[in-house]
Amino acid sequence: MAPSAFREGHVDADGFRIRYMEAGEGVPLVHLHGAGGLRLTPSHELLARRFRVVAFEMPGFGDSPLNTRTESMPELASTMARAIDKLGLDTFNLMGTSFGGKTAVWLALQATQRVLALVLEAPAAIRQEGAAPPSGTPEEIARRLYAHPERLASIPPIDPAMRAKTQPLVQRLLGPHRDADLESRLQDLSTPTLVLFGTLDRVIAPAMGRLYKDLMPNCHLVFVYDAAHAISTDRPEAFTEVVVDFLERHEAFVISRAETVIHP
Amino acid sequence: MKVSFFETARYQARQPLPSEWPVPSGIYEPDAGARAYRGMIERLEFVEELGFDWVSVSEHHYSPRILTPSPIVSAAFLAAHLKKIKIALLGPIVPQSNPVRVAEEIAMLDTMAQGRLVVGLLRGTSNESLTYDLNPAEARERTDEGMELVLKAWTEPQPFGWQGRHFRYRTISIWPRPLQQPHPPTYALGTSRESCDFAARHHLGCGVSYGSFESVGKATRYYREQCAHYGWHPSPEQIIYRANMLLADTDDEAQELLRKLPGQAPFSMRPGVREAMMTLDSRNIAGEARSPIVSGALPTTFVGSPDTVVEQVRRCRDVVGAGVLDLSLHPPGSSELEPLMRALELFGKKVLPRIRDI
Repeated sequence: MAPSAFREGHVDADGFRIRYMEAGEGVPLVHLHGAGGLRLTPSHELLARRFRVVAFEMPGFGDSPLNTRTESMPELASTMARAIDKLGLDTFNLMGTSFGGKTAVWLALQATQRVLALVLEAPAAIRQEGAAPPSGTPEEIARRLYAHPERLASIPPIDPAMRAKTQPLVQRLLGPHRDADLESRLQDLSTPTLVLFGTLDRVIAPAMGRLYKDLMPNCHLVFVYDAAHAISTDRPEAFTEVVVDFLERHEAFVISRAETVIHP
Repeated sequence: MKVSFFETARYQARQPLPSEWPVPSGIYEPDAGARAYRGMIERLEFVEELGFDWVSVSEHHYSPRILTPSPIVSAAFLAAHLKKIKIALLGPIVPQSNPVRVAEEIAMLDTMAQGRLVVGLLRGTSNESLTYDLNPAEARERTDEGMELVLKAWTEPQPFGWQGRHFRYRTISIWPRPLQQPHPPTYALGTSRESCDFAARHHLGCGVSYGSFESVGKATRYYREQCAHYGWHPSPEQIIYRANMLLADTDDEAQELLRKLPGQAPFSMRPGVREAMMTLDSRNIAGEARSPIVSGALPTTFVGSPDTVVEQVRRCRDVVGAGVLDLSLHPPGSSELEPLMRALELFGKKVLPRIRDI
């Protein structure tokens, strides 16, 4: 693969020094990562060809100091909204992955006018009873996250010390599997929203997808075939194509632009 | 043991038919076609009366030997004429279909037929990849993905998009849904590891065909192992074995029928196509490579008098584990009706009552 177009930056917001990776030009696309922390995937590179992608590392994840301060998901969302402010992003597309999907939903509720469209990759805002983040050896975790870990060129390494650091934060912020307060608010969130689930998700049941559609007035559900929880790693081209199409055309993305002429 | 009759429409031509596939359609006789479909209903009314549980139809193209290119049309025709018997679509060739359309048509017909449908989904025989220009190297993947999409279309309550490898739809929400909920009894048909894996993962039945008991038994054993891996155990009725049967009053007569069988491949392709197909169309039995059936005649695995056949059925149950036999009583491509009717009657009177408790 070509060398990454992403550059590292930092922004001070809400008393945290927050790292981010940025690449591309055009309408901003802010990404909030899953419970495993910020990892650039091939999808980030593909999305950066079309958008100005800003992928944050939320406070307490990666090499950032232990975060004992943030008490709730709405609080984390408001910290991230400030970081986005600091970068001068007035309106933006917002994408959240798993844990970060819940953060993104809260952020969209808090800053409705500023979020152009919302993309939720295997979001953790609604989970089946007993759903648990992957745990165990790196191999066991990989088997939960990826559809075919053996086919991936390289699996992002998992640092046990970092997991131990972030685990309490994730547990504290993730909230109950069904959050009645959040779900009642979602009914008023008319932001164009795309929810994606891999057909092989072994962390959050793909059947959770329909609940977002049940609740949200402007929500679209897409299943990515043969992808597991980490959709954007398992099938980056398929993931990116539908995300870009949705961000460009919102609900009109249902109209096909695929050309079928074989010869003129 | 449940019993299904494999209906192939039995086209009777006035002139001998060339063996090569595709068969030129210019020699088709419209009145012979009309007779074949009328005869199908007469025969199946008898089959229903004899107590068969299902009648099955398949999808084959460009040949009079199995005159049912659209299994859904066949099934709808049968459903409208027959009252009790279940109708098994074994089945739509998934890789060359629009899976959403397959899901819609089956749901529609299941509802029209008052829930009498049984469904088998499959990759299709090697020759069929030529029918609609399907790349045989992609056939397996398209089958797996298409089957998964059919199941999703039947069961997903909200409109959804499908971002597949081979299929892409931005919004799917089928009406009607099947009468049988969540969907009709469904089988993944085939001996391959992939097909058995799929069936096990999705709690579907498994259907195998034509091989010896030992050979297809490897596939059904693998299927049962995979089901156990996914935490469930299939019932005998979830395993179908499709086979040829030559039944006669005595073993000697049946063996004589077997000797007289033309040893011809059902869909014989030109040598260059056949050879290329052998390398492009990879097939396996539970992971062990087998060559695609492109050149040889289909084996006949039940041969004999009623007593002998009953014992063979018992052995089939032990070795294959099948709870449904899908039978051609007389080679499926044959147009000889009289021996077929004799065999049907003999089977209904002397075999069927004795294999019910196997």
